[in-house]
Amino acid sequence: MSKVDLKSPFTPEQEKVLLGWTKKYPYTNLGLIEALRSVQDWHRMITPEAASRVADIFSLPFNHVWGVATFFPTFTRWKTGEKRVGVCHGLSCYLKGSDKAEKCLEKTLGVPKKQATPDGKLSWETMECLGACEQAPALLVNDRLVGPATEEAIAKLKDLK
Amino acid sequence: MTKILTKHFDEPKLHELETYRRLGGYEALKKALGMERKALQEEVVKSNLRGLGGAGFPVGFKWSTVPPEDKVPGPRYVVVNCDESEPGCFKDRVLVTRAPHQLLEGLLIASYVVGSKDSFIFIRGEYQNQYDILEKAVAEAKAAGLLGDVNIHLMRGAGAYISGLDTALLETMEGKKAWPRQPPPFPTVAGLMGKPTVVNNVETLSMLPFIVREGGEAFAKIGSAKNGGTVLFSISGHVEKEGVYEVPMGTKLRDVLALAGGVKGGKKLKAVIPGGTSMPPLLEKDLDVALDFDAIKAAGTMLGAGGMIVLDETVDAVEVAHNIERFLTHESCGQCTPCREGSNWSERILERMLEGKGEKGDTENLARVGENITGKVICALGDTVGMVTRAWTSKFPDDFKKRVPNNG
Repeated sequence: MSKVDLKSPFTPEQEKVLLGWTKKYPYTNLGLIEALRSVQDWHRMITPEAASRVADIFSLPFNHVWGVATFFPTFTRWKTGEKRVGVCHGLSCYLKGSDKAEKCLEKTLGVPKKQATPDGKLSWETMECLGACEQAPALLVNDRLVGPATEEAIAKLKDLK
Repeated sequence: MTKILTKHFDEPKLHELETYRRLGGYEALKKALGMERKALQEEVVKSNLRGLGGAGFPVGFKWSTVPPEDKVPGPRYVVVNCDESEPGCFKDRVLVTRAPHQLLEGLLIASYVVGSKDSFIFIRGEYQNQYDILEKAVAEAKAAGLLGDVNIHLMRGAGAYISGLDTALLETMEGKKAWPRQPPPFPTVAGLMGKPTVVNNVETLSMLPFIVREGGEAFAKIGSAKNGGTVLFSISGHVEKEGVYEVPMGTKLRDVLALAGGVKGGKKLKAVIPGGTSMPPLLEKDLDVALDFDAIKAAGTMLGAGGMIVLDETVDAVEVAHNIERFLTHESCGQCTPCREGSNWSERILERMLEGKGEKGDTENLARVGENITGKVICALGDTVGMVTRAWTSKFPDDFKKRVPNNG
């Protein structure tokens, strides 16, 4: 069975979005990273099946797309929570207690890093420099900087559910 | 103190087109569009504007290396690098948040000079708030007819530090792994999709409206020799007032630290990392170093992207070196073996030292690993792996000795 005969892991609407990324920029491949970002948002991870379908849509070899998907830290092979929380441990954040924030996140969310809560709502991980050193240790929720990772800020994460 | 980029930062709605235009915004673009492209480029050469994303390359000269359209016909592009991701650096985020139209005006001026009809803003994915701000600003400018025949495309990265390096950025844009290219050819000759491409940083492009409005010489006068205008420092770590500060090029380190309120809690200064964590640190004795690309190089370090981290006396140099090497190991793209392996070895040696299992000769091993990376890799990330360990071991030998039992 050829790859194009496989059932798509995407809904018809999602297929349209992915096709849209092939047409958004002056060259087709310029949309690949954004397309994979969409897949990460929908499935909260990149599976080989999803990468294969994206490869078909972009007329690229599977190995190319899988290589990209496994290179960039935004794309995961583990399923993130619906709210993906990141705490920065770059130098400025380390100086301001990112280690303590990590322990607080594990205790508050009740799961180790890179593992989603049983209801799938939240996951947390350490991240490299988030470009917010004046808010150290910086906290990120789904690509949005939300300020310093204080105990209060971490406690409020549970309200995001 | 003279301010160019942050002059109107007290305006509450500076990010909105209406406010920006009320303060004279987009007048420089109007003036630029009435000038010859060559004359505009000359003004930038005269201004001594240097690339403020880290490399410090003269901007006017960089633009001059784009081949003329009669020699290389076809599209050419301008790409804004908004992918700052080195610990210590956050000025671009602040600039985009507060003054997105200043960046767009600069981008449109550059696009006119280069002849770019499709220009790009590549922004790191973790800056979703800033992406939204830029998207709105582009829509406002388009609706007001300010974009002319230029399409401005926004594009997000996917979390890799190396994507901030110009050639790796182009690879990322092209939907590939962010593996740096080995120049030549340089991007101005063969960049995005092999077409001539100018890649400039947010801060650099944001300087252009002033240069066009006031003239290159006026800009050059503000700074120091061969370093025109002002520069932004994003300051964090052990200071009283973390934030972004704008000063003329060549301002002394002492004065910049004073703007941030000095070392927090009245403690003694141990070191200042001047331009992002990969830069060698400066010490108390260096407080009178002038902060521009050339003077700071003479002092043995680099201005980088102005990401200044202040460390007080309580900090352990081994912990700092380990934190930086851990970052570089994580962010090494893996293309060059010396960087891929050497960064990891450096991190492991430092980790062993931190765990109290340091072995005799570890400090020398760190230096040897560094020497075997520097100059043997494609891009600057690998070079910094050795630079970091060399700088911290040589400037703080006592901290390292303490971590090696019986090393004397």
